[in-house]
Amino acid sequence: MDNLAELLHGFTIAVTVPHLALMAVGVLLGILVGVLPGLGAPNGVSLLLPLTFGMQPVSAIILLSSMYWGALFGGSVTSILFNIPGEPSSVATTFDGYPMARDGRPTTALATAFGSAAFGALIGVILITFLASWVAQVALAFGPAEYFAVYFLAFASFVGMGGAAPIKTVVALAIGFAIAAIGIDTVSGSVRLTMGVDELVKGVSFVVAVMGLFGIGELLVAVEEEFHARAVSSKIDWREVFRAVGRLRRHGVALLRSAAIGCWMGITPGGPTAASFMSYGIARRFSRRGRHFGTGEVEGIISPETADHAAGTSALLPMLSLGIPGSATAAVMMGGLMIWGLNPGPMLFVDSKDFVWGLIASMYVGNIVAVALVLLTVPVFAALMRIPFVVIAPLIVIICVVGAYSVSNSYLDVVMMLGFGIVGYLFKKLFYPLAPLVLAIVIGDKAEDAFRQSMLISKGSLGIFFANKLVTCLIVGGIALLLLPLVLQLARLWRKPASPAIDTPAQEKVII
Amino acid sequence: MISRRALELATAILTGSFGVAVIASSLDNGIGWSSAGVDAGTFPFLTGIIVVLGSLYNLVRGALPAATLASVPIAITPLELRRLAGLFVPAAIFVAAIPLAGMYVASALYVFAVLAIPRHQSVPRALAMAAATALALYVVFERMFQVSLPHGALAAAFGF
Repeated sequence: MDNLAELLHGFTIAVTVPHLALMAVGVLLGILVGVLPGLGAPNGVSLLLPLTFGMQPVSAIILLSSMYWGALFGGSVTSILFNIPGEPSSVATTFDGYPMARDGRPTTALATAFGSAAFGALIGVILITFLASWVAQVALAFGPAEYFAVYFLAFASFVGMGGAAPIKTVVALAIGFAIAAIGIDTVSGSVRLTMGVDELVKGVSFVVAVMGLFGIGELLVAVEEEFHARAVSSKIDWREVFRAVGRLRRHGVALLRSAAIGCWMGITPGGPTAASFMSYGIARRFSRRGRHFGTGEVEGIISPETADHAAGTSALLPMLSLGIPGSATAAVMMGGLMIWGLNPGPMLFVDSKDFVWGLIASMYVGNIVAVALVLLTVPVFAALMRIPFVVIAPLIVIICVVGAYSVSNSYLDVVMMLGFGIVGYLFKKLFYPLAPLVLAIVIGDKAEDAFRQSMLISKGSLGIFFANKLVTCLIVGGIALLLLPLVLQLARLWRKPASPAIDTPAQEKVII
Repeated sequence: MISRRALELATAILTGSFGVAVIASSLDNGIGWSSAGVDAGTFPFLTGIIVVLGSLYNLVRGALPAATLASVPIAITPLELRRLAGLFVPAAIFVAAIPLAGMYVASALYVFAVLAIPRHQSVPRALAMAAATALALYVVFERMFQVSLPHGALAAAFGF
């Protein structure tokens, strides 16, 4: 039980007064960005990133990850009280959360959501505790070819399981790779894809892309619809909180199933959004009360919330042990790790034990802090939603502009950020997925290096990707995932030759 | 009014031209295999090809009268377009003003303009919010985190 000893050591790092204070600050900031439309976990975390450069890596990651938990919780608050999802991953929570709150049970809805969210997060952290170091140990033996195969599998799983139109996912991924290649090539030292703009030699920072894609892009989508913050009462009845959490036990099956879906989607980079929708859909199909879904069913809240948080948490597992983030926010955090001088991947478990186990221990504590703080602050943040959108929107624009500028004190970054904003708007509007784009920008270089190193080893032969069982399995699995949408499409045509495609707008929405 | 089809086509053309630019630019770096291994341009070249092919597919799919697009024929209504412009145009002017006016002055003017000109807030309240924004930026960035934001050409001319 090495892991438990390490975990206890981690607790001695995480449970100190400064770190608990950082957790509280992170969670509160996270709830803030989660509540505000247009600011979400990915750009909230990238905004804080430049401010963490002077910190110890452990303190910095505790601050950033706490912000992530806070944002996940904050998104559910607005979903339930206002029917406005603050985060893409809490869209599915509006289906049953808002009806229940409207029927006069806002406390029940919130407590059910937070209780099941905490359960999902707990399962995710337990999974990380026991699996992450084992995965890292296996990955220590990886060579460049194995690494490339794992990257390939991760990207292929976006295409096969992300839920978006497969070709749009491929385009988003490839654009991300191209953006990652801009600047100086680390292998040959030559300058690539700058199109004659000298300032691009430093490359395009993922922070700039995230600010534009998620910040400005989301703001443009939000401004289209008129904002009616018709809140139901946001008073918290504390006795009902405990009663609602106590009642969760009756839904054990739904909790476990949703947590399993969430963990799976988090580790394979499907992400929290896809996980919550998938979990909701499956719950509706299997629940005895499936017909009542959409009218304020308890399981309709439990399923998306548990899966959302389980996926959000377990997305850190591949980030820590393989260096492959499982969600857009995890990708931003991994970018932070590299800036702090850490090398995400299996060596972390050897070189930076304190960092890894401090983070894992902080995930247990941070989620408890998050549940407590979010319950205490619901009325405050609900009041924030009554500020008119026209006031909040320019402030968010300024935050994104300053955030993009402060990455490397470059005005060009600000202009590019605005450009990314337009792209983000178009992509959101037309259901191109954004997460693969960000992921490709963050780890595109590493994937390319792995490919070129394996080519050097094999002297240009692709046979290296079929040289042993492990790498062959990974590559074949990746190819299978790439072809999965095609196979499904053919199967559908085979069964019902004349029926139109069943991509209804409601289904397309699943995709962000 | 902008139809869903027009938006799909425009986006596909946008991504496609990016792909073409990537291909053209990576050819300069050399593609293929040399004594030093895989050439620097190879990987971007391949991604460029994928972007172009994918964009072509999306272009054709967008142009065909497919059932999926018919369900939402209108992407942006005139009202929505006006709201979009109402947010984006001032934001773009704000960004364009930064090199001249500096971050603080530009953001204060920006906040004041979007609040007072469409009469969302009274002039004194808009002024107060604008001043508070600039002050908050100064305190947080210049003082607390020692990050210097651009002061602008005007400030430089006055010797700040």
